[in-house]
Amino acid sequence: MALRELSSLEKSLGLKKPKKYSTQGDNKVPVLQNNNGPSLTGLVTIATHLVQEANRSELLGSSAEQRALVQQWLEYRVTKLDNCPKEDIKTIFKDLNLYLEDKVYLAGNNFTLADTLMYYGIHHIMVDLAVQEKEKWANVTRWFDHVQHYPGVRHHLPPVVVLRNRFYPSGHH
Amino acid sequence: MATLYSPPDFWRSYPILISAQYSGAQITMVPSLPDFKGEDSQETDHLSKFPFRKVPAFEENGFQIQEATAIANYVAGDVLRGAGPQDQALVQQWVNLAEGEIIPSMTTWVYPIMGVAAYSDKACEKAKEVLLGVLSVLNQHLLPRTFLVGDTVTLADISVACALLLLFTQVMEPSMRQLYLNVTRWFCTCVHQPQFRTVLGDVILCKTASPGKLDGKPASTEIIKNQQQEVRSLSEVEVQQVEVHKQQEGVQQVEQQEQQVEQQQEEQQEQQQEQQQEQQQEDGLDPTEEAVAAEPKAKDPFASLPKSTFVLDEFKRTYSNEDTLTVALPYLWKKLDREGWSLWYSEYKYPSELGQVFMSCNLITGMFQRLDRLRKHAFASIALLGTDGDSSISGVWLLRGQQLAFELCEDWQADYESYSWRKLDPESEETCTLVREYLSWQGDFKHVGKSFNQAKIFK
Repeated sequence: MALRELSSLEKSLGLKKPKKYSTQGDNKVPVLQNNNGPSLTGLVTIATHLVQEANRSELLGSSAEQRALVQQWLEYRVTKLDNCPKEDIKTIFKDLNLYLEDKVYLAGNNFTLADTLMYYGIHHIMVDLAVQEKEKWANVTRWFDHVQHYPGVRHHLPPVVVLRNRFYPSGHH
Repeated sequence: MATLYSPPDFWRSYPILISAQYSGAQITMVPSLPDFKGEDSQETDHLSKFPFRKVPAFEENGFQIQEATAIANYVAGDVLRGAGPQDQALVQQWVNLAEGEIIPSMTTWVYPIMGVAAYSDKACEKAKEVLLGVLSVLNQHLLPRTFLVGDTVTLADISVACALLLLFTQVMEPSMRQLYLNVTRWFCTCVHQPQFRTVLGDVILCKTASPGKLDGKPASTEIIKNQQQEVRSLSEVEVQQVEVHKQQEGVQQVEQQEQQVEQQQEEQQEQQQEQQQEQQQEDGLDPTEEAVAAEPKAKDPFASLPKSTFVLDEFKRTYSNEDTLTVALPYLWKKLDREGWSLWYSEYKYPSELGQVFMSCNLITGMFQRLDRLRKHAFASIALLGTDGDSSISGVWLLRGQQLAFELCEDWQADYESYSWRKLDPESEETCTLVREYLSWQGDFKHVGKSFNQAKIFK
């Protein structure tokens, strides 16, 4: 999965020449094979590298604070969200929903790599959510919908249908 | 070449300028109408390019438009108008809501609080009802949406955000924003977009509810009378100052163009007189002033100073988050770069004119707003000491450089002449006491002889 994600990221960054990847170990950690340098290991490392290669460093944050927040969410993606046991998904959604209550983007006031990678990472969960659940996690759903409509981001993933008019009466959360 | 006739930093022109940032339209600002002959004169009307005699007005190669929304629509690119007929109609819907519902009610509610219009109980209640209704609808609408229409910023967001600007900066203090979290999230995202920021600068949300702020309601009719007097004297002061500044500039203009604020007739007449004066004042700008006004952004007046080791933001954070006496003050004295920064004591020169406490508070917050661009280079705590009818305003300032910073930039001089200034010796015992009392909001304030009432922080 991580490999398709990275190639989508390449496309959304406008990188022309596709990279060569392999995977490592049981968890299929991605490895970027560099022709003229050491290979790079790990989703976050490689994604950060791609952003820099594309000269889009604003996606990593444009202030010290925003850069730290981007890193925080990239770390969250690989340590908390990936391989998360089913019973913990609810906690993750609860936390994210609260966090996104007063925010449009995960880090700062504009779109960053944190949004892209969190979107990629949470997509398989969102696909399976019922309409009612999407309404329950209204802030996550809004963020997700915004990111999937963000120019050039979606690529390999099917769109998730989000209704913007409520079906169920509010007040149960 | 496109020309926008509008005073600089006039909030009615913000949607136009922000739209231009998105579409890339090049606009030159000219501060007043070309053929304006004063409020009395009817003679030029039928000949005039702009018979409505309103700013903002717009002209491009002989093509003229009046009315802010029409101009914004013209200047906005296709992206801002919405994709497809449905989205375009929705954009129109929100723009109309901003013009027809939000702006009239917002001005009725906010202007009295800012001390630039008379307060009317009935009108204000009605306005609040309308606005809170609109905010609820917006809040619902924005729960599942990032922007008002579609997935990107449109003219709808620009219009509505600008219409709510004064509400967010003047009235909606944190607890009220809690009630409209989705609106607040959307508003903050909008004003942080680079295109908004270029025009609006840093938008500082309202920090605390001062008396009369949440409901804008003075206690008795007597106070209303006082307030009206206060309004008048404020306006007179402004007329005397050639300087025209941000918020009030916009406010006066709008009063000229829309007299929707319900007022007592007497008050209206007074205001009309003032407006004439102001308009004449404005028309009297000489070419140099016009050129200065047309310049996009002033240079940093502190650019020539050597870099300082004292990081103001860090101090402000420490002051806001930590205990003042045990952490923030020791931090200040330890880190303060005595060469790069100076401490000042200021006192309002005309304490006998201060009436109600909340009016004095507005005086202080108004000054802070006009000094907005100084925030990176200054910190102050200004205290109101005493009670209604027997009060004084004084405070301590931490300013970049050794000079009184207000002298560096004309924009900052609006209020400083109303204060006496004394430079403080950072090593002296007296300074230590003053700084402690004003920053911790406690102590005897012996030098004034009045007890602490409340204070505002400029940061």
